[in-house]
Formats: sequence, C-alpha cells, structure tokens
Amino acid sequence: MTSRTTNDQRKAREARKERPGCARFAAFAFLVVAVATAIVGAQIPTDSWPTYHGDYSGRRYSTLKQINAANVKGLTLAWVYRLNTSRAGAIVGGEGPDSPPSGGAPTVKSTPLMINGTLYFSVPDHVYAIDARTGRDVWHYAWKTRGGDHIGNRGVGILDNWLYFLTPDNYFVSLDVATGKERWHHEIANMKREYFSTNAPMIIGRQVIIGVGGDALDIPGYLESRDPEAGNLVWRWNTTPRVAGEAGANTWPDEDSMAHGGGMPWIPGTYDPELNLYYFGTGNPQPVLAGFSRPGDNLYTCTIVALNPNTGKMVWHYQVTPHDTHDWDAAQTPILIDGEFNGRQRKMIAQASRNGHYFLLDRATGEHLLTSKHIDSLNWTKGINAKGQPAHDPAKDASVPGTLVSPDTSGATNWPPPSFSPDTGLLYFGTRQTFSVMYLTDTDGHPQGWAAAERNVGTVGNALKAIDYKTGKVKWSRPFAMGPGGTQGGPVGLLSTAGGLLFGNDGGGNFVAYDASTGKPLWHAGLGTNTSNGPQTYLLDGRQYIVVGAGDMLYAFALQP
Amino acid sequence: MPATMRPNDQRQARKGRKARYLFAGLAGLAFLVVKVSAQQQALTPQTDTAAVERGQKLLVDQCGFCHGANARGGSGGPDLTRSALVQTDEEGKQIGEFLAVGRPDRGMPKFDLSQSQVSDVAAVLHAAIYLNSNRRLYKILDIVVGDAKLGQAYFNGAGRCSSCHSPTGDLKGVGVKYEPATLQGRLLLPRGRERASRAPSAPLYADPTGLKVTVTLPSGETASGGLVRLTDFEVTIYDAGSSRTRSWLRTGDIPKVVVTDPLQAHVDHLTKWTDADMHNMTAYLASLK
Repeated sequence: MTSRTTNDQRKAREARKERPGCARFAAFAFLVVAVATAIVGAQIPTDSWPTYHGDYSGRRYSTLKQINAANVKGLTLAWVYRLNTSRAGAIVGGEGPDSPPSGGAPTVKSTPLMINGTLYFSVPDHVYAIDARTGRDVWHYAWKTRGGDHIGNRGVGILDNWLYFLTPDNYFVSLDVATGKERWHHEIANMKREYFSTNAPMIIGRQVIIGVGGDALDIPGYLESRDPEAGNLVWRWNTTPRVAGEAGANTWPDEDSMAHGGGMPWIPGTYDPELNLYYFGTGNPQPVLAGFSRPGDNLYTCTIVALNPNTGKMVWHYQVTPHDTHDWDAAQTPILIDGEFNGRQRKMIAQASRNGHYFLLDRATGEHLLTSKHIDSLNWTKGINAKGQPAHDPAKDASVPGTLVSPDTSGATNWPPPSFSPDTGLLYFGTRQTFSVMYLTDTDGHPQGWAAAERNVGTVGNALKAIDYKTGKVKWSRPFAMGPGGTQGGPVGLLSTAGGLLFGNDGGGNFVAYDASTGKPLWHAGLGTNTSNGPQTYLLDGRQYIVVGAGDMLYAFALQP
Repeated sequence: MPATMRPNDQRQARKGRKARYLFAGLAGLAFLVVKVSAQQQALTPQTDTAAVERGQKLLVDQCGFCHGANARGGSGGPDLTRSALVQTDEEGKQIGEFLAVGRPDRGMPKFDLSQSQVSDVAAVLHAAIYLNSNRRLYKILDIVVGDAKLGQAYFNGAGRCSSCHSPTGDLKGVGVKYEPATLQGRLLLPRGRERASRAPSAPLYADPTGLKVTVTLPSGETASGGLVRLTDFEVTIYDAGSSRTRSWLRTGDIPKVVVTDPLQAHVDHLTKWTDADMHNMTAYLASLK
C-alpha cells in the first residue's frame, strides 16, 4: 500500500477523532476507515456491507460461508419489507410540489448498505433505513421531486454519520444516518436539459464521487467529487473535451460535437487504494444512434477511465467502443482482479461490456491484455483491431430503411452488478442475444438526441454465463427461463460467496443459489418477480443473511437457527 | 458555407425544407400526448401551437440566416436547440434578456423583439427541443427502398420462404395489411398479433405463434399446449381446449419437457439476414397488394 493513501486516511481519521460529539459515532468512523483501507486482496467486511459493491473491488464476493453449497437447501425467509412511498410518517424534503408524481410501484435497484445492524437503501425520491435483523422501519426520507426520469436509483453512500444520495431532478442530498433528517441539498445538473441522476455516491477518503445521467438531448457528461461536509464541488472531470486542444479533442470533428457529446458516468466505479486509482466506465456518445455528425473515436465516451481521486486527473483510459452508434455505454462495473495472467502475477481490471465483448486490462497502466466475445449473435463489428477494440462497421449504423443489429440498444449485458469469485476464477454476468432494427429518422446534417428509432425483433437465446477471466472463454452457460416468446431475463445482479454459491435470478421470477463452479441450481425461492438489484450478504449476531430486492419488495434469507 | 452560383436560392430551399419538417413534427404532437405521458421526461410538449407557428416564422426571418431555419446552426451561428441558455430558459425570460443585449463581441447583435415575439421564439425553440428529446415521437421515414424483384427471388430461393409461405395464400394482401416498418418487423419474426395501442392484449401463450411444449410425466401421461413458463423448477402450459393453465414442479429432467417454436425457421434466420436482403424482401412483401 502506498504511504500516501494511508497517510491521507490516517489524517482523516485523526480529524474525525478530534471533533467533539463524535464519540457515539466512533463505530461508524471505524467502519468507514475499514472500508477506506480495504484493498483488493482484502475482503468485504463480514459484519457489514458498507459500499455499493460491499468493498471497492466490485467483485461482489463475500468470504462468508455459513450458508454454503452443502446446506443452502435449508435457506429460508427471515423477513420481507415492502417499500411504502407514501409521505405520511416520512421525513419530507425537496424542492418540488406537494403532490407526489403519479407512477407505479418503485423498483429496488440499489444495493442496500448494512452498517451497525441497519440497512440503508433507496429508490427514486426515497431513502429507507430498516433494521437488518427484522426488516422493520427505522426511518424513511421522502423527496418532493420537480420531475425528471425516475428510471432508478443505485443507492446511497455513507461516511461517518452522514448519508449521501442523488435524486432524479439532480440534487445531491445529505441526511443524518441516525435519524434521516436532512442536512443540506445542492443541485448538480439542470433537469430541463434532460439530465437525471441515478448514481450511488462512492466515497474514497474524504471525496464523495458522483456522476450524472441523461441521453435524451445532446448534453455533456461529467463526474464530480464533492466535499462531505458542505457538499461543495472539489473537482469535476468532463467525460468529453469541451474545447479544441484539450486531450481527446482530436477524436471529434468540432467543439460543438465534443461539448454536446454525452458520455454519462452513471454507475458507481471501483477503486484500488494501493494505486490510488478510481475506475469507472463512461456512457455512450451523442447523438446516440447517428454518428455521421461526429466522425472520430469520440473520446472519452464508452471508455474505462482511471482517475486519481484526489485530483480528478485522468491517469489512463481504454475505450471499449470507439465511435459507438448503438447506445452501448461502457458503464458496467469494471472489476478488480488480482491473479495470474500468462504466467505473471498482475493487477488487472475486467469488464463484461454492453457491446458484447469481455475486456481484461492491466489496471496500473491500462495496457490491454485480452478481448473476447461473450455472445455469439453480435453482428456489428469489422473484427477486433490491434488495440483489442471492436472496430466500428459503418454498414451496421442505423439507416433510413432499417439496419438489423445484434444486440439491441439495451446491449448484450447492462448495469446489474456482475460478480467475480477468486475461488473459481470465474466472472459471472447475464447476457442477451437480441436483435432489433434501427431506423435513422433524423437525416439533417446535425441530427439530435437519439436521431433514430428502434424496433425490437427477438432473441436467439439469453443466458447466465461464467467466463474464465484469464482466457475470456465461457466455462459454463445456463439458459434463462423461457416464456411464450423465447428466453427471458438477461442482465442480473449477482453475488458470489466462499460458500461456493452464486446468487441471482433465473429470468423466470425465481431467486436462485447456483453452484458457482458448475452453474447447477441448488436452491430457489419463487418470488414471482425477478430480483432487481445486486444481492448482498452480512453476518449479524452470528447469523448470515442474504438480502435481495425484487420490484418493490426487499427479502432477507437465512438458515433456520 | 462553400461559395456557389446561387447561394441565396439554396438557402431558401433548405429553409423551406427544414421548416416543413419541423411543422410536420409539431403537427403530430397533439395526437401523441397520451403516449408521451407514459415516458418519464422532464420536458413537456408546447401546447400553444399558434405561438409555435408564429415563432417558426420569426425564427426563419430573424434567426435563420445565422442559426438555420431549424435552429440547428447555420452560417456562423451555433445550434440553438443544443444551447444551455435556450434549454434552461423559462418561457422566454432568459432568451428575452439575452436578445435585448446580444453578444456583440461574437457578432450576435441585439434584437428588438416585443415580449410576445420573444415568447413565440421561445415556444418554437422549446417545441423543437422537445421533439429532439422524445424518441417515441420520431417518425420512421420511407423504408421501402429495396428491389422487389430481388426480394421475390430471395423469397423463392436463398431465403427458402416459399417452403412455408405463399404470395397468393397466407401472404395475400400483406402489403396493405401492415405499414412498412411493421411489415419488416413481422418479416423477421411474426410473433404475436399486431394490435392498436388500446386494444386488449391476448396472452402470447394462447397465440399460435407462441412457443409450444409437451410434458411427459413419469406415468407416461403427456400434456401439450402453449408454453407459459419453463424454469429449472417448474413448467406451466396453457391448454387451449379448456382455456386453463396447468403446472408441474420439475426436478432435473422430471417430468420430461420438450419445447418447440413454430417460428424456429425465423429465429434461425435472424443471424443470416443481410440488410440488403431484408430491404428487398420488405419491398417484395409491400408489393403484395
């Protein structure tokens, strides 16, 4: 571990200790430091789940094995929590009207944090704290929204006794962890430009890192660090250059294109404390499905980026889709893997990308190590170029009479958290082999927004896959459930454990524990709705819980005592 | 802009074309409001269509030379629909304040427009931005551009379509039954029935084009029907005779389950299409009146 990181963290810890009134939160402070010092070789703490991914590695692998392949058949319901979005009884904040927006039941896409026996999670406009033993309410915070896309919220971040989250109308909000009372909120983007925010704040040292989303209009993307006390801007990293002469500007035709070029960083990233690098994927370029007004690679869209979190300066980048024209952002979790590659021990980073390819890079330098296809149906590239990137084929861009493309714009995989088990060496994620026809609708020389329409056709087979990180080859593949239209399901939130298990859904409304080595299903619960977030796990009073969301429900499973 | 013999004429022609596109898009708005409400967007459509029309005239006359008649940028002026100032403007307030001053250092003069004129210009710009932002309102253009004769040859030859279909049988009149994009989609995979947006939906498992399944129990009894759901843990079928569903739990391969897809040939063909074959076949099917 580099001394710099350690020193920063020690200073931060000391500063916290000196503040009066902190004693009752000493346990929080300890946990946060534990998180901040967790290195990839270390693990998700077993008695908590303190970040979106559990730890910084993005592996979503727990060393817990109370629940294991031998006894998982006895896994049973511990409690159920149904999300209530009524403002009655909630702590209410926000800038919007008093009347709540119409809309159906929310869907849990956030991974709950678990700290000191309490779970903290979110859906758009709502944050919940519930008892991790019993699933009963602790507090509920409801945000009066001004509007914006309510497609989802990935979760909350916690530092000391403060919780942070983002709203669809682009407010960065801080709450008191103990009570849910609001401390402050700041607007970080303007929803009239169709920005909306879904990201879970990622906390590194004293930096609270957040990103924005939105692709209905041609707007620029950025990642920010905010100070945890007042919420003020510390640094901002633009995902595309804004003016000629900036790094990457030579991959755009002009300033108007690059300054409206998209690249939204909408998924929490990963972090290596030894290298002090924050890794995340950026979104697609704008206009989304028409590339003819933005010839070039369009950096830094669809790119895995390594930033120094202290300065917000980019250290290296690798673009997984140069000049994307199909909405295949590279936001999917880049997972840190320490292991052997070609006979050498390396620090690596892996991504199963939305464009249908698997990428393995050296995470200190960004050196490309491996590219493979993770679905068979993809038809949009001219092959892999010398840098390991899929080469853009203009013939498969949206066209007026229609272009048949696989996968569709939702991609071969998507945001639901994948998992990597160091025990099996396998990377797990859900895949789709869909086809759709993409129609160019905006033939103006300056197309706008999406600029094209899409008609979904069908799929030739969606499957849960496990690939060997070293070779990129599929070790096992399990087709998802079938309905009257073919296979269902696809991207799925996953959790692997030292108990030899992989938890996820089967696309058919079942929550399943698979044998992580073979993909054989060992246990299931018929929830009737597919799980909708990343499952997580913790040990509390000696009992291991598995917690997962499905629609507007949160379920906890445990072995009978 | 390149020097040409008759730049003004060309500019006028382009202005006219772009203005028509914008109007055509705006005219569709009134009918599509219901659809829009289903999408979660921050922006809402402009309801005062008269203001939008007045604004369009002002835009062409006053702004078009520099910013283009569709406001997406012209000879020297930037794209107004992408402008942060315009996008975040509140009913002409910020646009009006800007126009009263201009940006003389960058060649943008101030404009003396009345408050209602500013409001009209704002209306047309916000209408255009809304149309750019809402992809559900995008109109598919003329997609019947293929060669019907080549399509017919593909139908009878490489596509092997004629082994199941006939232009005088099941496909008779198919070219008038569906609009072209639907026809093209159904050419690729004709799963389920096309229906008007408000028509009641029939479950796909009860449709002839849904997957079919045969379940064989350990006793030797078999049951067949439409596939409702097949997972590692259960199989549910729909029995058309009784209009009821039946389900069995599964353990491994018991009971035995065999799934068939009446559209397997279409599914297998998805990986074989070239876009040219697809366009030619669309033209051929569209010609079957």
